[in-house]
Amino acid sequence: MIVNKLAIFLFLMLSVQVNAQIFTGKNGEINFFSETPIEDISAVNNKLSAVFDASTNDLVFQLNITDFKFPIALMQEHFNENYLESDLYPKSKFIGRVVNIMDEQATVWGDLTIHGITNSIKVVGSFIKSKNSVSINSQFIIKLKDYNIKIPKIVMYKIAEEIEVKVNIELIELK
Amino acid sequence: MKKTIILSIFFCSFSVKAQDHLLNLLSQDKPIYISYLFKGTKVVNGQSVELPSKGVLQFTIQHRFGTLNSGFYNLYGLDNSQVRLGFDYGIKDFLAVGLGRSSTTKTIDANSKLRIKRQIKDGFPVTIVANFATYVKQWQYTDNQLDNFLFTNQLSFAQQLLIASKINRDLTLQISPTLIHYNLVETLDEPNDKYSLGIGGRYKITKRISVNAEYFHQLNDKINNNVLSFGFDIETGGHVFQLHLSNSSAMIMPAFITKNTGNWLDGDIYFGFNISRVFTLYK
Repeated sequence: MIVNKLAIFLFLMLSVQVNAQIFTGKNGEINFFSETPIEDISAVNNKLSAVFDASTNDLVFQLNITDFKFPIALMQEHFNENYLESDLYPKSKFIGRVVNIMDEQATVWGDLTIHGITNSIKVVGSFIKSKNSVSINSQFIIKLKDYNIKIPKIVMYKIAEEIEVKVNIELIELK
Repeated sequence: MKKTIILSIFFCSFSVKAQDHLLNLLSQDKPIYISYLFKGTKVVNGQSVELPSKGVLQFTIQHRFGTLNSGFYNLYGLDNSQVRLGFDYGIKDFLAVGLGRSSTTKTIDANSKLRIKRQIKDGFPVTIVANFATYVKQWQYTDNQLDNFLFTNQLSFAQQLLIASKINRDLTLQISPTLIHYNLVETLDEPNDKYSLGIGGRYKITKRISVNAEYFHQLNDKINNNVLSFGFDIETGGHVFQLHLSNSSAMIMPAFITKNTGNWLDGDIYFGFNISRVFTLYK
């Protein structure tokens, strides 16, 4: 009996997955900011993409490292060539799940991969879900040393050890 | 009961896979361009496929000293130096213009580089850049008074196709078919057009240092020695230092490709360096 009920339940769950409400976005914005007393450095990537599956609360993000644009071309070159090594690690991704939503504030928990290194992170941000769209807005801090990004002592500009990251993306229901 | 467990295992694996499945929804077939084939806009003497980025002004100071075999009296060539000062500016990411002047031959050069095609990861194999340069030999007032003085006789031109491929993250190879045209040549039977083929490359030995080599082979009516050069590129933040040894002391193509008298085996080896500094004028 129990087996049967469970089977039906699982069947229902599976059918829910088949009809899953999936939201995707492709042109989200992610920017980061390094603040030191000497110099502030920022870069922006307008090609952040994400998918949210409302049935499982799975949330994934992905971006290309080479899509980060810097105001100074040389910084962009060093970012790609020396620090993030975008030829070896072209993509950064986050695979996680929304674990809690309360008053349009969501807690997201998952694995963030940058520079080939994966760390578990927990981020809180605004998560506004309407009938056929989801708007996500968040900011968090990452530490360069957690992702094995080495900055030499002597560079012409100063780079902070902790980088502030801001994410802003609008997801539309996939039909 | 067993069935339930199997089913739930199946379900669990399904939901784990779901995240990968979600990632697959994001995969875009956007071409990934290969960038940063060389550290500098020059391999050694000749141009590389790199251009200054849009809005970037690059100031280059190039020095060439005398031959290493010129003895202690000349401090092995260091007493005898010549210089070229050059500015290069990126109008667009694919278009740059430059202006320079060399001291010994008193020649002003202007060039433009246009990137035609970019290397794509798992796609188009090479980056192709066209380089056009014009050289004006300066004259003095007294030259100007001569009956046979013609401005056009002071001109020479170079046209190049630079084709480079980043083989892996360290190694880049380039071939540069080159045509040099002189409006005025020294003898009647000397052709005005001279073809040559440049080959060169760089190998990165650390993230910031690479070894470079370059060779230009004269294809028709070879009148002088072919130029062979070796160098180091050292990148230090905003500067790129290029130190090299070559059998030519010239820094402009008509001179180092077709008017090179130096011979490596005779010890006619010139030490030289390029220092470039970039300034971002327009963000």
